[in-house]
Amino acid sequence: MITRRTATGALIVGGAALSLSAQSIPPAAGKTRGSVMAPMKVEIYSDYQCPACKQLHDQTIRPLIDEYVNKGKVLLIYREFPLPMHPFAKEAASLAVAAARLGKYEQVGDAIFSKQEAWTKSGKPEEALLTLPAADLAKIRALAKSPEVAAEIARETEAGRKANIQQTPTMVFSYKGKTYPVGGFVTWSILKRFVDDMLSR
Amino acid sequence: MLWVLRILRIFLGVIFVYAAWTKLQHPWTMFALSIDAYQLLPEWAVLAIARTLPGLELVIGILLLTGFALRYVALAAALILAMFFSIMLFSWGKGMAIDCGCFGLGDALTWKSLVRDGALLVSAMILAWSAFRVQRRLGSRLFWF
Repeated sequence: MITRRTATGALIVGGAALSLSAQSIPPAAGKTRGSVMAPMKVEIYSDYQCPACKQLHDQTIRPLIDEYVNKGKVLLIYREFPLPMHPFAKEAASLAVAAARLGKYEQVGDAIFSKQEAWTKSGKPEEALLTLPAADLAKIRALAKSPEVAAEIARETEAGRKANIQQTPTMVFSYKGKTYPVGGFVTWSILKRFVDDMLSR
Repeated sequence: MLWVLRILRIFLGVIFVYAAWTKLQHPWTMFALSIDAYQLLPEWAVLAIARTLPGLELVIGILLLTGFALRYVALAAALILAMFFSIMLFSWGKGMAIDCGCFGLGDALTWKSLVRDGALLVSAMILAWSAFRVQRRLGSRLFWF
């Protein structure tokens, strides 16, 4: 269980110490949002082909960003966890990770989730990115095929497994040295209560 | 028959106390998230259950351990476990990838958790049935065993 193995490690990001659970690996470049000084961290293990991940992204993570991440209360860390049961999830994750290297992780992630149903049917996650400028799309395509991107996805997936992540989406909250994993989609109003409750302690 | 009853009630009592303990050691809003993930209940019900269920489990567990009013307590335990098991089975059948919420954090809803909770339900049903049967046979003087 994650909570029983809790210990904090330290990582220097932008000159500030970022404490993470023992199983965590440093967040990849371009895959964090918010202040590293935020008192609470949340790592989101996600699969772009998973419908519950899209639901969480659309209905819960967006207000979390608006009300807590953008106000410096929560640091968001995106983690890739493509499940073997979803044949195009890894390809979609590769595009998102490649986009992160251009500083466009969230923009591309939003686009991939917004067209999830269409590309799941066609088997071509790239179709979600056709609205991007041609030069960006070409760079993302090239980067997505690089071994570094594949290695990053493998590294995050392995770290997730070691952290006992068994399903997507899973959010792992870290606060005051303790970790709290939350599996599945949860509604914003309940999550907000939890975050407020924790931050008030 | 009586020794079977004793073993079953102590086993279930320990399980109920442990289930309560795994929930009570974390903020109640954490348990609310686990309940909410089932996507079956409105917000007010999620909050009400998250606040009260761990306490109820603790009371049932302690009563089972003491053996006080065993017929009614065992029946209550069986009813609660039947409710949990039905909800878990329904959600698992829908393919939901969520936490079970049964024994604290990171306890995923899988076929293993279904088998575990199914076994607990069968145990509680046997206990309740046996308790009523023994009570009927031995009379009302045996309220505590």
